[in-house]
Parts: sequence; C-alpha cells; structure tokens
Amino acid sequence: MCTINSCQRWLVVRVLLGVGCLLSSMLAQAQHVAPTDSSALQGAHLLPEAVVEAARLSHYAVGTRRTVFDSTDLALYPAGTLADVLAARTPLYLKNYGPGQLSSISLRGTSARHTAVLWHGFNINLPSLGEADFALLPTTGATQVAVQHGPAGATYGNGAIGGTVLLSSPVRWGVGLRGQVQADAGSFGLGAGSLENSFSNQKIALRTAAAYREAENNFPYPERVFGGTVTRRQTNAAFRQWSVAQDATFRLNLHDELTAAVWLTDANRQIQPAIGAANDRARERDQSRRLLAGYRHVARRHETGVQAAWFEDVLNYQSDALLSNSRVRTSQLQADHAIRFSPTLSVRVGAEAQHYAAQVDGYGRAITENRFSGYGLLRYDPHPTLHLSLNLRQALLPHRRPSLAPTAGAEWQFWQTPTQRWLLKGSASRSYRAPTLNERYWRPGGNPDLQPETSVGYEGGLRHEWQLAPTLTVQTELTAYRQLVQNWVQWLPDANLGYWTPRNLRLVRAQGLEANTQLTWRPGAYSLTTRAAYTFTQSRKVEGTAADPDPVNRQLPYVPLHSAAVSTDHAWRHWQFTSSLTFTGLRYLDASATRSLPSYLLLNAALSYRLRLNHTWDLTALAQGYNLTNQLYRSYAAQALPRRNGQLSLRLSWH
Amino acid sequence: MFSPFSFLFATARPLLALAGLLSLGSCGSSSDPDPNPSVSNVFVVNEGAFQKSDADITGFSSSAGQVVNATLFTSANSRALGDVAQSMTVANGHGYIVVNNSNKVEVVSMPDVKSVATITGLSLPRYFAVSGTKGYVSETVAYSGPGRVSVIDLTTNTVTKTIPVGLQPERMLVADGKVYVVNSAANSISVINTQTDAVESTITVDNAPNSLVQDANGQIRVLCGGKTVYTPTYEVDYTLTQPGSLVSFAPSAPTMQTRLTFASNRLRPTDLQTNGDKTQLYFRAVANSGIGPIFRMGINNNSLPDLTAPFIKGAFYGLGIDPNDATIYGGTGTFSGSDKFIRYRSIGTSIDTFATGSGPNSFVFYQQ
Repeated sequence: MCTINSCQRWLVVRVLLGVGCLLSSMLAQAQHVAPTDSSALQGAHLLPEAVVEAARLSHYAVGTRRTVFDSTDLALYPAGTLADVLAARTPLYLKNYGPGQLSSISLRGTSARHTAVLWHGFNINLPSLGEADFALLPTTGATQVAVQHGPAGATYGNGAIGGTVLLSSPVRWGVGLRGQVQADAGSFGLGAGSLENSFSNQKIALRTAAAYREAENNFPYPERVFGGTVTRRQTNAAFRQWSVAQDATFRLNLHDELTAAVWLTDANRQIQPAIGAANDRARERDQSRRLLAGYRHVARRHETGVQAAWFEDVLNYQSDALLSNSRVRTSQLQADHAIRFSPTLSVRVGAEAQHYAAQVDGYGRAITENRFSGYGLLRYDPHPTLHLSLNLRQALLPHRRPSLAPTAGAEWQFWQTPTQRWLLKGSASRSYRAPTLNERYWRPGGNPDLQPETSVGYEGGLRHEWQLAPTLTVQTELTAYRQLVQNWVQWLPDANLGYWTPRNLRLVRAQGLEANTQLTWRPGAYSLTTRAAYTFTQSRKVEGTAADPDPVNRQLPYVPLHSAAVSTDHAWRHWQFTSSLTFTGLRYLDASATRSLPSYLLLNAALSYRLRLNHTWDLTALAQGYNLTNQLYRSYAAQALPRRNGQLSLRLSWH
Repeated sequence: MFSPFSFLFATARPLLALAGLLSLGSCGSSSDPDPNPSVSNVFVVNEGAFQKSDADITGFSSSAGQVVNATLFTSANSRALGDVAQSMTVANGHGYIVVNNSNKVEVVSMPDVKSVATITGLSLPRYFAVSGTKGYVSETVAYSGPGRVSVIDLTTNTVTKTIPVGLQPERMLVADGKVYVVNSAANSISVINTQTDAVESTITVDNAPNSLVQDANGQIRVLCGGKTVYTPTYEVDYTLTQPGSLVSFAPSAPTMQTRLTFASNRLRPTDLQTNGDKTQLYFRAVANSGIGPIFRMGINNNSLPDLTAPFIKGAFYGLGIDPNDATIYGGTGTFSGSDKFIRYRSIGTSIDTFATGSGPNSFVFYQQ
C-alpha cells in the first residue's frame, strides 16, 4: 500500500530506470522534468511507459485521497480476495457474513451501492444489485488496486459516491519472464493454490493468473441456549472458488497499442446461516465472465482510445424455500480522446455506452436497458506546485437524465524545504447513482419511476512528507469531508401498493475525518514500513419523506463511527514479518440505532522466509495467523466468525 | 432476507406471505387491566428479520400505557430468542414462543418470560395450541409437501407424537376435545381428536384457509385467503385471482357451511380474531408484503365488510384485540428498525404509539 505520492515517486523512478531502453531523445525529455514534479512527468507522453499512465483517469482526479495496493501488497494474499486485503490493511469496514461469504464495502458512510468498482476502467458492480461482493474478487485478478475515497462521478461514472475501487494491471515493459506458484493450507479445511506468470519485452506484455481456493469453514462458535452455552460447529458454510485472468498488451509501434483482458471467476458457496437459525441448505453460485479489448493511439499531442467489454454475471441462489436464478449480460463501449495543449494542460473527452440484457427470475421477463454518458476532463498545472482538475459528466438513463456531474479538484504544494513538503488539497463533486436493475424491474416492487440518487460532496486536506533522515521518511495525510446524498433509495413496505418497493425517501449526510500516516525506515539490511490510519465517519439520515418511518439523526446501520488500522512490515535479509491490527467501532444494526454490535480489535500477522535457490528460482515459506488474540467478534448481526486461525503457504517464484 | 442480497430481501416477504406466514392474535385469558404498571400484561411478538436471529418479546403494561421492556426475552434470559418468532401462546402460567426458523418452541414462565425449557425436534413450526396437559404445534415441514402437527407433553416439554396433516398447516382452534388446524396451502381443515391424537376427519372449506375462531354462537368461523394467480411475468392476474371468503359452520355439522365471499380480489383477508365476548370478528386484508388495513364485522352480520373501506386504515403486519376492553393493537412491518405498535379504541380512533422490535406480528394479553 502506498499513498498517491509515493506511487508517483515510484513511477518517476520506474520511468527513469526504464529509459535505458528508449531513444536518446526521449531520455533527454524525461530528464528535463524536475523529479519532484511527478505530475508533470506523467505528461511526458512520448515515453511509452508513461503513456499508459497518462491514459489513466486518476491523472484527472486531483485533490482527492487514494490508497493504492501494488502487486507487493497483493502478493501477501495470493489465495485471498480483495475483501481480505482491504479488511486487513485499511480501516475500511467490510460487512462480512463469514469466511468467504458476502463482503460488502462501505466507503465514507455510504452503502455498498455507492462504491463503483472498476476493472480496467469498466464498472463491474453487478447490474442487478448495483454492488460488488468483494469475496468474489480474488487478488490475482489485478496487479494494482486503488481505493479512491470520496465522490468522483465525473471521473468514474455511475455510483462513485462513497468512493471507487480501481482494479488494474499496469504494464511493466521489458521485465522478461517472471512468475510464481503457491500452495496454501489452513484452518477449517482451507486449501488453495495459485499460479501467476508474466512476460514482457518492449513489444508485448502478457500476464496469466489462476487461483483456486476452498474451505469447509466448520469452525467452532459458542451459542447461548437454555441452561448455558454450547459450542457448535459451523454448518453450511463451505465454499469453492476459482479465478483465471489473462492480460495481454501489444505495442504495434511507438504510437499504437492493443490490449485484451479476460477475467473469469466462479464461486460455489453454501450460505452460512445465522447463529440460532435453522440450516435451510442455502447455496449460491456466482460466475462472472469478463472480456475486454482496447486500442490506443498515442501521438505527440493527441491520444485516442477505444475499448469494448462484454460481461456475463450469473447469480443463482437456492434454498429449501426459494430458488432464484439470474444472468445479466453487459456490453460496453468506451471511446476517449485526449489533447495535450502543453505539458501542463491536457483535456480528455470521452463517451461510454452500456447495454444490459437481464434474465432474472425476479423480473418475470427479459429486460434490456441502455445507459450512456459523456465526459470532459481537464487537467491544468498553472505552476509546478499547483495542480488543478475540472471534470464534467452527463449521463443519460432510460427516461431519466441525472444532474450534470462536475468534479473540481486542486492540490497546492505551499511549502517545501529540502526535507519537507506540505500540500493542501481539496475537491468538490456532484455525483449520481442510477437505479439498479432490481430497483427498477423486480416483481413485485420494482419501481421504474425511481430517480437517480444525487450526491454533493466536498473535502479538504493536508499532506505532509518529511525526510527525517536519508533512510527515514514520514508521510502524513489528513482529510475532512462532507457529503449529502439526495433521493437515497430505501426498500420499505408501501401501504398503498401492499408490497415492498424501493423509493427515493431520504436525504443522508455523511461527514468525517480521515488521518493516516506512514513511516518508512531503511537503515540497511533491515527495513520497516509502519502505517497507521484512523477514520471518523458520521453518517445519518437527516430528512425523510412522509412515507419513510425511519427516524432522523441516527447513525446509519453498519457504519462504525470510529475505525483504525495499524500495520507494520519488517524485512531483514530474507525474512519478512508483517502485522496488522484493526479496530472496528460499535455498529448499529437498525435504523433506530437501538441494537448494536460491540467494537472489536483484530490482530493478524505473517512471517515468511525466502530461500534463493539460484539466480532464477526462489522458494518462500509463509505462515499467517488471523485473529491472533482469539476474539469472539461479529461483522454482521448473527453471523459467526472464526476465532484464532492460520494458514501455511509455500511459494516457488522465478524471475 | 433469504439471502444477504437486497433483491432477495425484496422478495422474501411476499414469498413468506404466499407461504401463509401470517400473524396470530391473542391467546391469553381475558382480564382486568393489570394493577401493577411495572409488570407487563401485553406481550408483543417481534418476529425479527429472517436470518438475523433478532426476534424478541416486548413487555407492555396496558394500565400504565408504557413499554416495560422492549427486549424482554433477551433481558430475562441473557440470550437471543432466535430466528423468526412466529407466534406466542399462553396457557397454565407458561408462554410458548414458536421460533419458526430456529425449529424450536421456547417455554417461558409468565409474566417474567424466564426460560423454563426449549422444545426441539420441530420442523418449521408455526403455531401452538394447548389442550389439557398436551400441546400441539403446527409445522410446515417443507413447502413442497404435507405438514404435520406435533404433540407435546407439557410436563416434559418433549414431542410425543407427530400427526400428518395437509399442506402448510397454520393456526389451530381447540374446541370440544378437538384441534382444528387449517391447511393453508390447500382448502381443508384437519380435525384432530385429542383423545387419540389422530386426524378423525378433514373438512373441506375454501381456498387457503389461514385462521379460525369460535364465536359467541358456537360457530367456527374460518377465514380463507382465496387464490392468487400470477401472470407469467410475476404480476398478480386479477382476472383470474379468486377473492377470499369467510366459511362458517357448527362443530356438530361441519358440512353444513355458510359461505360469504369478498367482493374484491385485490386484498387477501387473514388473521381472524375476536373480542373478549366473541361477538365481533376482526381481521386484516393484505397484499404481497403481508401488511394491510384492519376490518371488523359483527358475528351476526350476513355481509362481509367492503375491503376498500377498512375499519382502521394503515399498513399493519400484526393485529391484537384486548379481550378486556376491545382495545385494538396494530403492529407495523418495516423490519428496518423503526417498527412500532399503535393502540386504537374499540371504536377505531387511535390512542398512542410505541416503538417496538422488528416486525411485531401479534399480541398476547395475559392475566395471572
């Protein structure tokens, strides 16, 4: 994990290291850029390696907060899912129904529907539910995961209200062949295996990743019954899941590039019943097939890209009482054109089209829906210390036109000494969320008249980077934000209709503080990275219509007011030790904020040793321990979670 | 609620309602208002959301007009009640709380609701009836096949016998040494002889009988929900949907039936109850979500109420009639954490409103 700035710095290093492979004129241009001005460097578009970076939307997301996990961070969890990574390494709260079970994210006090999840720039939230289950996203699907905190609808489109999770696999040219194969075994029948292999020269970059995991999840948990407490074994919580990802990028010449990617995921899960509830033998099959192809042309001042994607998402649920099958196919097209008027001024315009074809039992009929949006993004750096962006997006939905979604951002490095940098940042955004297919078409209840939700949010913050010694740096960031979500959709019984229906019922205000700091110390053979993060999140319904019985001014369910995470990464020679401690505050379970789950502290740690077999092959042994203090805790109402448990892994890697 | 996902949440209520998951009214003995306001005499069954194990009992004092304890079972026993409290029946100083999706009946002492025993070995239990020292539990068993009634020895709180009945048995009525149980996914009532604990006869009524009472004239009144027909696109087909009806007969002549059919097929009548002297009939009429307004009719009325003109308008998931003064209790059914119950005078004007647990589906009136 690193902050945006450390990533930019890493990029600078990478670009500069890569120049040996490039023409001397390009080298000269790259070196003219001041190393501290990483943003400007991103505009050095003649560097093929930088071109790919420049095409990224994040270039236009100035003034916001990002948390980035690169392949090194993800490598700690090769058999895991994004739910595992985010829960262990950040103070983000993922509502989790059990190991391998549904994990839904809540960013900045919003619901899971208010986080856009993008894979190579395409939204992969299930169109029916409008949200993603992070337990269905194995870490091997991407090599970089960025969490963009806060609203940015103009930049990232539909649903980017609480934030955006960006999955990508940035190409590293000229790396050659490298890869790893890993086998894992753990508590409660956990078995996993993964394989990743990548190759790149200056023309072609390929990456193949496959992962499989299964678990019985028959962990013990206590239940209070008449006469005392009994220990039970969890039943109906087993799962099997696999994922295969293939990325390929070809440089046709210095200006043209073709990309293709495939990501297949399949999960076969029993649905863990609540404590005290009967086992109704519920199970769920989730399958996603994601294909995309793209072409990008990069010239001196112009850059053009076209991408097409096709997704098929299957969600089949069955229990003793219910059978519900669904399949949604999404076809998407994106086109963009960017113009660099100067190294400090660039504009990008683009358009997106989505076609949904849904076969969902609950709709009673086949449904198709088309959505469109167009955007314009502006990045302007009037001074090396001042970066500005202004983005606009207009979406067109069936019979609806959401409000224009603008996002404006600024970053100002207002003070710099040889060892310190101080930055002020801020952004403001109006964002939107289109009604999901379920919200519109479910029978009975689906409400075709739903308005899109609209949010207005703004944030400001301060970033400090301090080089205390040549080997010691500290980066600290403070962010305060506030956001109002209008037309918030809630499913409630309608007295007139006589059934449950989603309606635009309320205004929700989310506001909070985020503080995070990272210390890096590399005195020699030993290196240490320590991160600490704290979030204060207050999220409340502040107004409601007459049809909304839920009270106002209560903290929303499943939004902890306080959460924190501390992690340390130690490396010494071939040893590595990582630990993470997360605190999750009290969470209310109901709209009246009467019942709650107590706060909890979770401690995880991992120890690994890497044995160099020769200059190509490494063998790594890894032991991981979870919930080391043996806490009895709950993430979701009455769902049991395991106490102390562990996992052993053996990894063979080549490079 | 069958799944964490919201779309399933959206469908679970209607589905449960279709399965005949309806609420039960009072089962306690009639009384004067409780003289001690710190002691509960009305027990609200908060069903709780499916798979959240958040069912509980709210203790309420009708004389003080205040909630004594909103989480009475949890407070009294330092543990959760379970998943989906379907109904509660009081007899002989004990309360029998049927916890549907925990496959159990919690036996508590009254009025403190302290645990006495747990009856296990049940399969989707629905309602509890008492005859002498025996209890009877109706059980769905499976939505696709016949249900059953388990016989409970109330001294040991164990199942002694199971009696096969019809599809999705629901509420029961004990009268003249017989237990009448409605088979809600069929058109019949199974009659169990309490001497032999065997089905001695089956009475054919109308489609989807869901609740029954015995009125002051000794007549058994059976409320039938009618037959809801869906189009291929899952919308109610009102051209084919059959309206509900009220079937009445004397226990001595069950085939000599009087049948009144509702004029409207838009709402499904359910949850039939009486006042203390059994001269008035009360019920709700609901659509998919199981919520709807409250209706009333005199037992000697020869015509049914107009379903478009309710006695008490509103969206009620639970109904209870205080046998002492015919105060009407209506419970909401949002399951979002904002549920409440509202009291109405016998003439239908509202008195007061109280917050309660999730999905108050019925009210038990108790006198020591």
